[in-house]
Amino acid sequence: MSTTSKTQIVETLISILGKERVITDEEVLKESSVDRFRRFEEIHGYFTQPLPVAVVYLRNKNEVAAVLKFANEHNINLVARTGDSATEGGLETAVENSIVADGSEMNKIIKIDPYNMQATCECGTSLQDLEDELREQGYTTGHSPQSKPLAQMGGLVATRSIGQFSTLYGGIEDMVVGLEAVFPTGEITKIKDVPRRAAGPDIRHVIIGNEGALCYITEVTVKIFKYRPENNYLLGYTLNNMKTGFEILREVMAEGYKPSIARLYDVEDGASHFSHFAEDKCVLILMAEGPKPLADATGKAMEKIVAKYVECEKVDPRLIQVWFDNLNWDVSKVAEERTEIMETKNISNTTEISATWDRIYDIYKTCVERIRNEMPDMTLVGGHSSHSYLNGTNMYFVYNYNVVDCNPKQEITKYHLPIKKIIVEETIKAGGSMCHHHGVGKHRTRWIQEEYGSSYYILETLKKAFDPKGIMNKGTIFPGE
Amino acid sequence: MNILTCFKIVSDLDLMSESDWVVEDHFRINTSFVKNMINPYDESALEITLLYKEQAEKLGSAVNLSALTIGSKQLDAYLKTLYALRFDKAVRIENQHDLRFSPDAISTVIANYVKVIKKPEVIILGRQSGVGDNAKTPLLVAEHLGWPCISQAVKIEPASEGLLKVSSMADDGLVIETIRPPCVLSIGNAPNSYLRIPTLKDKVNYGKKEIEVLEIENYLNQAVLEQPSEGHNITGLKPINHKRQGVVIEGSTPAEKAQNLYHNYLQERLKQL
Ligand SMILES: Cc1cc2nc3c(=O)[nH]c(=O)nc-3n(C[C@H](O)[C@H](O)[C@H](O)COP(=O)(O)OP(=O)(O)OC[C@H]3O[C@@H](n4cnc5c(N)ncnc54)[C@H](O)[C@@H]3O)c2cc1C
Repeated sequence: MSTTSKTQIVETLISILGKERVITDEEVLKESSVDRFRRFEEIHGYFTQPLPVAVVYLRNKNEVAAVLKFANEHNINLVARTGDSATEGGLETAVENSIVADGSEMNKIIKIDPYNMQATCECGTSLQDLEDELREQGYTTGHSPQSKPLAQMGGLVATRSIGQFSTLYGGIEDMVVGLEAVFPTGEITKIKDVPRRAAGPDIRHVIIGNEGALCYITEVTVKIFKYRPENNYLLGYTLNNMKTGFEILREVMAEGYKPSIARLYDVEDGASHFSHFAEDKCVLILMAEGPKPLADATGKAMEKIVAKYVECEKVDPRLIQVWFDNLNWDVSKVAEERTEIMETKNISNTTEISATWDRIYDIYKTCVERIRNEMPDMTLVGGHSSHSYLNGTNMYFVYNYNVVDCNPKQEITKYHLPIKKIIVEETIKAGGSMCHHHGVGKHRTRWIQEEYGSSYYILETLKKAFDPKGIMNKGTIFPGE
Repeated sequence: MNILTCFKIVSDLDLMSESDWVVEDHFRINTSFVKNMINPYDESALEITLLYKEQAEKLGSAVNLSALTIGSKQLDAYLKTLYALRFDKAVRIENQHDLRFSPDAISTVIANYVKVIKKPEVIILGRQSGVGDNAKTPLLVAEHLGWPCISQAVKIEPASEGLLKVSSMADDGLVIETIRPPCVLSIGNAPNSYLRIPTLKDKVNYGKKEIEVLEIENYLNQAVLEQPSEGHNITGLKPINHKRQGVVIEGSTPAEKAQNLYHNYLQERLKQL
């Protein structure tokens, strides 16, 4: 890797950005060497990754270009960061002397354009801020990940994130209209905002989902929609079997309805949310929204579909509404979770996959059974489906365990990775995708070639073309040495 | 030693939005839409009980743990969890009456239960629960039984010859007392006392024991049950104003901002420490 010394790197960064924007405080470097994936060891005061040489705060695309160019010329690893809510190790600084390039201060909402139904903002704009601003004017992005109060637009695009209303509005890839991104050579590129074009491949998809491994996203334009929560048609049911639940979701999608929310919880995962009304039951949630006639028609039609399944019992929608209003995570919830982990030594982790309708139930059942039988100290093994499509759905596995008889540094190898391995291998074996919406990060890269099969050639060629020196977020998406 | 830990299941009121606070029929606020949880002080009481058992058993003394709650069948899930955490006995006193604001009634039930089974030497309870509660129950249980009570307890350790070493918070610090049971311990704001979580295997192996269900009428006379609310009714609701004033510290550089913060806000306060 780089032969440039730490001091030289810091000095050059200071000459580009000024002293105040180059942070070398050890505590900051430690925190910036990891993300949520390593929170168990981090909470216990262990930092096992090489510390970055500096965290730099960038203000505009020119600064981004200058820093990238410098890193590229001197073979210095650079980790892009915005909201810092990554869950899969995407923010880990895997090699010595990395630069963490933080875009959270590039947080201007550049333009809200209700006539063309689009909004443009810088990469560090928090989704919550954009959404608040839009809602005040009667609009919404339609994007509502649970991390809405934490995540920012650059990271949301870089991870191919998805929100709770995705079944209607789509994932971030369906929302992004145009983009600006800087490549390792310092090349600033802008993809214009147009409704559609057939001028060759859709190059937005080189950028969306790149996880900082190809380029640095500086600006994003997304679609906006009319915000009409008063028309929401919310439905909640309890039922006995996940299999029935998947059948209902499939029928709703196959019949051509577009609910905004389509969620199905199994008994175990549901117990942590719905124990006050659904003991030992699965829970199905559907919501229609949009213009009133459409929301009502969709809502009623979905009710009719569910009514055919006798095991489904309707619950008061207020039970679902109150739960939903408390679903998102803000900083105080993150802090509370840290205390709880520290005191109970119990941690909750997740892995999200997707598969076609004919495969999803078997994947779900096999994974849950295997984890329960093969892994020690489990306190919860379950999951939910939260994003449905015409040809299939996702499964969000939730697994909690007590970390016992090991050093906090071994939590990942003793529990988290073996569980992930079960889920990923079973999913790939069954023909599903191992990553539904958190990105590959650094801990699923060992299966990336299997995930892609023969099409890995295309993915790998992108890396070779855009980041030939491999300075962009080493070990992310593409396995490190 | 036989220990009885009493706990109450409450609604997680943090999940209620302002518009959910509506006085409905019978002067009640409907909280059934939000999740339940173990009252946080009682959660501490349960964890402290388990910690005590671990320590005592290491020293070779046997400890028998019972857990008691008062309410409907819905609460059995919590009792099953306590079985999985190796409580020896889980008891629910079935009740459908509104005893939310009735510490006297609740404490009478607990004390009468204890008098009947004649067993526990130590009763541990959280000091207080959510809205409307008044930190009376543990004190009243002690009074009904004529036992001493230590309030604001935060730690219980075994001492020699069946004695207990109890740490409790007082205005000017921590008080450590060694006492001889029987006694009632009212658990205060105890650090490190989130209730541990049982594994799935322990739930299967231990969580299925039968819960002892008793009728409240055997422990409280009918007249109190029918007129328990001690005359307290909700007459209205007013939101508490949680707004705080804030000041944006001005300065063109972080160093200048830090200087301003120090000179204008911290310097004087630090002098007073
Ligand atoms: C409590 C919680 C709930 C969550 N719920 C959801 C959910 O519902 N749906 C969902 O999809 N995700 C969810 N996530 C995951 C996470 O919030 C998303 O992956 C989010 O998109 C990350 O955005 P961020 O701004 O925090 O990015 P960061 O964490 O800063 O970075 C994430 C990744 O993107 C790269 N990156 C960041 N900024 C840029 C940039 N400007 N250019 C190029 N690459 C960049 C980073 O290098 C890293 O690999 C959740 C996370 C938490 C902690």
